[in-house]
Amino acid sequence: MEKGKFSKWLLFIMLVSLLVLAACSSGSDEETEGTDEPDATEEEGTEEAEESEEESEEESSEDGLYSIEDFGRDKTNEGEAIDGGTLQYGLVTDTPFEGTLNYNFYSGTPDAEIIKFFDESLLAVDNNFNYTQEGAATFDVSEDGKTFTLTIKDNVNWHDGEPVKAEDWLFSYEVIGHPDYDGVRYDATFQNIVGMEEYHAGEADTISGIEVVDEKTLTITYKEANPSLLASGIWTYAMPKHVFEGIEVADMAASDEVRKNPIGMGPFKVESIVPGESVTFVANEDYYQGTPKLDGLTLKVIPPTTVAQALETGEVDMVDSFPTDQFPDVEESLTNVEWLGQTDLAYTYIGFKLGKWDADAGEVVMDPDAKMADVNLRRAMWYAVDNDSVGEQFYNGLRWAGTTLIIPAFPDYHDPTIEAPSYDLDEANRILDEAGYEDTDGDGIRENPEGEELVINFASMSGGDTAEPIANYYMQAWEQVGLKVELVDGRLLEFNSFYDRIEADDPGIDIYQGAWGTGSDVDQQGLYGRHAMFNYPRYASEENDRLLQEGASEKSLDTDYRKEVYKEWQQLMVDDIPVFPTLYRAALVPVNNRVTDYSIQWQWDDWHEVGLTQEEPLLP
Amino acid sequence: MWKFIVRRLIITFPQLIVLSIIIFLMAQAMPGDALTGLVDPNIDRAAIEEQREKLGLNDPWHIKYVDWISGIFQGDLGQSFRYKMEVTELVEQRMINTFWLSVATLIFTYIIAVPLGIISGRYNDTLLDSSITGYTYIGFATPLFIFALVMLWIFGYQLQWFPTGGSVAPGTEPGTIDYVMSKINHLLLPALSIALIQTVSTVQYLRSEIVDTKQRDFVITARAKGASESRVYNRHILRNSLLPIAAFFGYEITMLITGTIFVEQIFSFPGMGQLFIESVLQRDFSVVNAVVLLFGAAAILGALISDIILSVVDPRIRIK
Repeated sequence: MEKGKFSKWLLFIMLVSLLVLAACSSGSDEETEGTDEPDATEEEGTEEAEESEEESEEESSEDGLYSIEDFGRDKTNEGEAIDGGTLQYGLVTDTPFEGTLNYNFYSGTPDAEIIKFFDESLLAVDNNFNYTQEGAATFDVSEDGKTFTLTIKDNVNWHDGEPVKAEDWLFSYEVIGHPDYDGVRYDATFQNIVGMEEYHAGEADTISGIEVVDEKTLTITYKEANPSLLASGIWTYAMPKHVFEGIEVADMAASDEVRKNPIGMGPFKVESIVPGESVTFVANEDYYQGTPKLDGLTLKVIPPTTVAQALETGEVDMVDSFPTDQFPDVEESLTNVEWLGQTDLAYTYIGFKLGKWDADAGEVVMDPDAKMADVNLRRAMWYAVDNDSVGEQFYNGLRWAGTTLIIPAFPDYHDPTIEAPSYDLDEANRILDEAGYEDTDGDGIRENPEGEELVINFASMSGGDTAEPIANYYMQAWEQVGLKVELVDGRLLEFNSFYDRIEADDPGIDIYQGAWGTGSDVDQQGLYGRHAMFNYPRYASEENDRLLQEGASEKSLDTDYRKEVYKEWQQLMVDDIPVFPTLYRAALVPVNNRVTDYSIQWQWDDWHEVGLTQEEPLLP
Repeated sequence: MWKFIVRRLIITFPQLIVLSIIIFLMAQAMPGDALTGLVDPNIDRAAIEEQREKLGLNDPWHIKYVDWISGIFQGDLGQSFRYKMEVTELVEQRMINTFWLSVATLIFTYIIAVPLGIISGRYNDTLLDSSITGYTYIGFATPLFIFALVMLWIFGYQLQWFPTGGSVAPGTEPGTIDYVMSKINHLLLPALSIALIQTVSTVQYLRSEIVDTKQRDFVITARAKGASESRVYNRHILRNSLLPIAAFFGYEITMLITGTIFVEQIFSFPGMGQLFIESVLQRDFSVVNAVVLLFGAAAILGALISDIILSVVDPRIRIK
């Protein structure tokens, strides 16, 4: 009996201690993520903002802030490369890759990261994404900018030894334009090809605008000249016709030629695929730029939770992209890697709903009575937020305040001289006062010029640890200038319903926080044009129409003129503010020190020159 | 006995049909579809609409349901939009992985649970028992996704005893001994992580059942008749105590195909759990429907197997 009692006590004590332990761990976890950070930003927003600007320059390394300027884009070589070796490449994703391993069919980024090793674009690009003559093919444009003559170089062969021919290139157009094609590549650029729409509708058997001149030469004629064609607008991926010839277009994406034994013309050949988790490659000795230094390459999926460990133990030499929020934690322990970084092709922004989408006419209709219709209100809201400290607080400086809608990743087009509103509470208050937004009933919240209550509904997406504190920060920042901003539905919205509602112009949404990947083309018609469905703020103006059309016109084939047009457009966006960019981002790539001659520049495509200094990965 | 099984099977059919309707309607009620995620200005709006039309996403729900259900009867679960391949093939690929992982987990679970449960029940209220129950409480309190990460960190990265991710080493040839060994090697750590946590409920069941049975009259009788202590435990108590574990087994079989999202994600192990969650997030309806239907059917069948096992071992349960 006594024994029995004792053990019950023991159990109870164990239970209690467990509870305490559990409480400790979960408590501290939640606090750092949930409650601490908003507080910190509040302080940051009010007091530290001015200081931090000065500090960040001098003490960047000590106070844990980083800047994109600190990162290089090319790997520094630490020693001579050995002959051969196998590079371990990590594909950072928390889901298995889809395995649609063909440029013409893939839809997920992870797949593209795999395809790039065994297949490649026939035309190379420079750092502004304009085509160059350096790639596997050369091009020639006619005077009027409508006809392109493309010539594939002689020594370019498929992995099975067959030469890459003009008909292979034509074949990819025939597949994408085919009525049965089930991918998403058939877009406006394809429709711009003479005869393409007839072919797509099934009225013609061939595309009249594409002509195979001889075995290696192809001409493509477009209906309208467009400078974007020269900036990554042409479809530059060929498809081995002799491999796919017998397969119905509708069955191609599911075929073994895409999923199990894909071939291409790139520096490596696919040796084996474990669906969803790994791919092994061997060097393609017949590669047109020269035999790769490496014997082969192994690619495997690494979940974001363990990527730092995988780099530290040398399980992988490099990854496609590193989760930047982990960087401050691992920067010191990962001494065996070099960090490369550059501006990511994306920006986050706050958008203002200014009208509706007229689906019948296929165009944007502005609503002059929209809650956010007053540009002064929008400008004041831009002045009221301190994006630099959002970037510092939440991303350790690896994101920073955006200024214009063409990001610095396009060095020719981004205009750093434009003065965009930056954090200035007094200015925000002054603008609101002047525009007639005054607090008439003394509750600390401004009313609109008619004296009615002003509540702005803010839609923001869930996802990641920082989504909520950042949304809270913005609302607090606007409250400081007396604007009452509330979350739509009182919570963050899930990705799918967020975009569903934004797209449907939900009247309950006045402003929203979104993000765009910019792609490689500076043409903005797809995002901000009058006829663009993706023009989510539903903004249109004649000046905007004019500039966007100019930017995509024949006249803009002259790059200098095009630059001028887009500079004007960036200024217009800063004046009219249908949206304002909040954060530009850095993309980081860690590379093991044994790797040589690697680079993350956009123009770089020299995988065949990448080597290793030793057989085994370097450890910290 | 057969009557019971047949009757149980007959109830199962309407359950499956109702399940399929509910699943289908719920999937339809989710905002967005597979093409919503393609918010990419480089992808033409018209092309997306055309795809929607082609995929039949604009049809009313009952037409879609009939399409879907008639496909199922022909063994066709449709095509995954995201993977661009047959759902049956995709599910098969993933299910094999999940199946072996679950088998390994089950084996580990019972290897740990049975001896621990017996020791703990037989010597209850001793220090040994207390430490075993202590372990079970810790097990109850530890979230699997943290435990698995810690296991991976210690045994995968620090000690490097086990591979750290995937289901097989890249580049091994299927069908060879190396391939099989590599598969098993990749299973060990995730299976062990799940088993160590999952086993605790079975240990507790077994323990309380043994403690309970120990005081039954027939045990006292057996002892009075002079049966040795080991005979009493092995023949009389253990047999009766395993009954609920046997019943539990039916449900554990369900687990064979559902997989565990967290562990699969941490070990980047392509299994059913991951397939499920990603297809929900991406609104890959044909996959969501197929997977949920499969899970539901497995749960119903698991319950059926449990009932049958119980009715075999304990005739009292065969309700008339």
